[in-house]
Amino acid sequence: MKHGNIIISQPTALYIHIPFCERKCFYCDFYSEPLKNHDVPKTLGAMLAEFDRYKFESPAKTIYIGGGSPSCLLAENLLHFIDEITRRTGKAKEFTIEVNPGQTNPALLNKLYAAGVNRLSIGAQSLCKKDIEFLRRDYQSATVTRLVNAAKKAGFDNISIDLIFAVPGSNLRRWKRGLQKAVSMNIDHISAYALSYEHGTALTKMRDAGLVKPVSENLDRQMYEAVIDMLAAAGFEHYEISNFAKPHKQCRHNLTYWNNEEYIGIGPSATSHLQRRRITNIRDIHDYCKAVEAGKAPVEECIESDERNFACETAVLGLRKICGLNLAKFHERTGFDALKMFAEPVKKYRQLNLIEVSNGRLKLTRAALPIANSILCDFAGAD
Amino acid sequence: MGTENIRNFCIIAHIDHGKSTLADRIMLLTGAVTPREFHEQLLDDMDIERERGITIKASSVTMNYNYNGKDYMLNLIDTPGHVDFSYEVSRSMAACEGALLLVDATQGVQAQTVANAYLAINSNHEIIPVINKIDLPAAQPDVVAQEIEHILGIPAGQCFKISGKTGEGVEELLHAVIEFLPTPEDKSSDPTAALIYDSHFDGYRGVICYVRLFAGSLKCGQKIKMMATGSTYLVTELGKFTPRMSKVDGLGAGEVGYLIANIKRLADVTIGDTITLENNPATHPLPGYKKPMQMVFSDFYPANNTQYEKMRQAFEKLALNDTSFSFFPQNSPALGFGFRCGFLGMLHMEIIQERLERENDIEIVQTAPTVSYEVVKKDGTVEIIDSPSQLPDTSHIEELREPFVKLEIICPTDCIGNIMKLSEARRCRLIRTDYISATRVLMEYKAPLAEIVYDFYDQLKGISSGYATMDYEFIGFEASNLVKIDFLINGKPVDALAMIIHRDNAEPRGRKMLIKLRKAIPRHQFEIPLQVAIGGKIIARETIKGFRKDVTAKLYGGDVTRKMKLLKKQKEGKKRMKSIGNVSVPQEAFMSILDNSEE
Ligand SMILES: Nc1nc2c(ncn2[C@@H]2O[C@H](COP(=O)(O)OP(=O)(O)O)[C@@H](O)[C@H]2O)c(=O)[nH]1
Ligand code: SF4
Repeated sequence: MKHGNIIISQPTALYIHIPFCERKCFYCDFYSEPLKNHDVPKTLGAMLAEFDRYKFESPAKTIYIGGGSPSCLLAENLLHFIDEITRRTGKAKEFTIEVNPGQTNPALLNKLYAAGVNRLSIGAQSLCKKDIEFLRRDYQSATVTRLVNAAKKAGFDNISIDLIFAVPGSNLRRWKRGLQKAVSMNIDHISAYALSYEHGTALTKMRDAGLVKPVSENLDRQMYEAVIDMLAAAGFEHYEISNFAKPHKQCRHNLTYWNNEEYIGIGPSATSHLQRRRITNIRDIHDYCKAVEAGKAPVEECIESDERNFACETAVLGLRKICGLNLAKFHERTGFDALKMFAEPVKKYRQLNLIEVSNGRLKLTRAALPIANSILCDFAGAD
Repeated sequence: MGTENIRNFCIIAHIDHGKSTLADRIMLLTGAVTPREFHEQLLDDMDIERERGITIKASSVTMNYNYNGKDYMLNLIDTPGHVDFSYEVSRSMAACEGALLLVDATQGVQAQTVANAYLAINSNHEIIPVINKIDLPAAQPDVVAQEIEHILGIPAGQCFKISGKTGEGVEELLHAVIEFLPTPEDKSSDPTAALIYDSHFDGYRGVICYVRLFAGSLKCGQKIKMMATGSTYLVTELGKFTPRMSKVDGLGAGEVGYLIANIKRLADVTIGDTITLENNPATHPLPGYKKPMQMVFSDFYPANNTQYEKMRQAFEKLALNDTSFSFFPQNSPALGFGFRCGFLGMLHMEIIQERLERENDIEIVQTAPTVSYEVVKKDGTVEIIDSPSQLPDTSHIEELREPFVKLEIICPTDCIGNIMKLSEARRCRLIRTDYISATRVLMEYKAPLAEIVYDFYDQLKGISSGYATMDYEFIGFEASNLVKIDFLINGKPVDALAMIIHRDNAEPRGRKMLIKLRKAIPRHQFEIPLQVAIGGKIIARETIKGFRKDVTAKLYGGDVTRKMKLLKKQKEGKKRMKSIGNVSVPQEAFMSILDNSEE
């Protein structure tokens, strides 16, 4: 295929998947491989080659380097890679990189900031000792605090922390304490996820074998509600099921997903959403590199959405936002009237006070959030 | 020709005792089929003949056979093999004079065989007992012969011992058919009287009637009259199955064949009716046969309301070839529009249900099968109801009567204990026990139909390792201490779940079913109370807890396709359910409440 023949004329969100981690976490289902088994520069090179299949006519809307663990790369590899990217796409207004506690130092943070990265997403997972132990991560909450402080010093004014709750063995008090620690770090954004038992992970196998006992649904819910309440009190706006931000600090990159807009994904297993096609890249690093080197699109699957499917996706994703779906915009983008298309669930769930229609928006009520799947599934396909 | 060289007979056999094999063997001996065709089990095959794209069900085979220098016409009339359809056996028997009672030498006499043999004896048929599969090492022909003598009073020495498989003894059996079975009465000069013993609908030719001529004759071009309905038709084709459909110009007294007369709908033909000639009618119709009775009723609703019309069309199509199945529009407050259906028995119901789902791709929600009840009201009137929802207010009811049957079970003697236990739990009263051989016993019960209609047969098979067989026959309605149980979902009584049950069983059963219901109904976004009420009084409550947490925590760009798939799957799961108020109730729930098994 010719160089750069996919022209990107609109500012588009860019996701870059670094498929490496120091070692694999037993609960994680992201695609990543242990760093030491792979030729990192070669892979990064292939990713840049994938990049060059596109021609960017306007700067990227947002850039997000995730993984895997971008911060496990050698600093020089990472910085060189970032330079190469910005050379191609320009600097984005929001440029996020995921970092793991224990994998960064003030010098690297300074260099990242200088390279144009302006948002940090810290994979803290937890700030309480017992949870960190369960998750088998090798840092302490103090590591996270130090990282946050160093980042601020380096100039970052948009720092996010990822936290996991509903960790087996945990309890409400412990979770609240950890959460309070995060709040006191005076950061801008928090993503709080219930530990999920994804298909095929070691964690799930352990649960199925009875070796791990998930927390009760009730505790899970209490923990979730605690996040909502505590973060609201601390001045965070709850803007997506699992995401909370200080004013003007919502993650614009992730909003692209929930608004069902277009994005480009680069790297093994990354997905793109372009012209209503969902394109998934080859997972396996070797196969991915081989495809790119052969000048082929490193694509494993490409699914085209029909009108209805696109509308359903837009609804399900949009309803994850706390502000819900803008009905007029929905109509404009999909051609469907959401209140007609989903008349049945809307009616049913309004009666149950799980869905609200007001000010031209359709949204889940607070009571609906903890059980959103049971409601959203009725929007996942329209018949 | 006269009737003295005609023999009309059928084979009565329990399933798998070798009826088809024997029929094939007889056809081979008489030259009706070639050795090449021999193995195709012609008589048992629905698709016997594809002639101009038409599929015909053979109901009889006409064969020619020379015995002692004389030509005979043998008509073998098919009897269906299915246990639930023993009534069809009486149809076939009404068309002939004799029957071969075929019993597997390794299995012995089975309950249905006994029932059918009695049917034959009661309709004055000559019976030739035949013990089959004597080639098998496990065969015990003498023990089986003793059983036959004991139960049916036919001397053991009269049994023919054959092997349909090897052909051993079959020739002699055919000779016996000619020598022992009566010839049809010769009434060739009487006014025409033909019994319709079966019919079949064919898309191209309309209704095909299977007839047995008892008097007079039939010819193409004649104007015939159905004696019960009074309608008249012009005969366009007559024929016989040889086993291929072959046209003949006429059928004479004593003969068996088919008749086509431009009859458009199967409903226009009444099985058991008498065909006569319009210009020279018979004075009396033929006696016909005992009409089958619908014993089991159940409501069928489309899982998706938009499929109501499709369902109606499917039922109409099914009813075309099955006059013993009935359906009436029904509107349930809980389930919407559907149909109340009547069946001969559980097996019949299952067959219809399966055909509806498989052949017509209609998802159905079905209510627990019930029997019909007689309600004697305070004003003295008697009403028959076939659904608990038709039950009048208790203040109007003087007495409730339920159907009782005579239940016969044949089983190995070592199962007696288990069977006694089962039948006691089902309110069956033992009438007699009859040791038909050293190891097998016949137990006769008087049983409430409602108790044996659903899973009794399965249980019986279970506790006897498959050896016990049963058969039942309706006796009549009798007063019983019955009550109505209602189930309330989210405070609302659900008509489709109501049932009528004996008072002694009501409470334990109600409680058990409530738990079943709780397990069958998935959790919702809210708590759902489930209650059971007997005679309007709540006696137990269960709660289905609401979801507390059910949400995908992370949904980013890479997850969309996969998570959407999961949500769609979650939605699919809701599809086979019926909404009762805000509660989605899966189809299984309606059946599960009848499932009596412990777990
Ligand atoms: N060994 C042996 N097997 C037989 C004999 N007759 C029938 N069978 C077998 O018994 C089974 C049931 O026979 P079939 O004619 O289909 O029984 P139907 O259900 O009564 O029509 C088949 O597997 C036959 O091959 C027989 O005389 N000897
Ligand atoms: S949780 Fe993060 S660090 Fe652990 S394997 Fe997954 S991507 Fe890598």
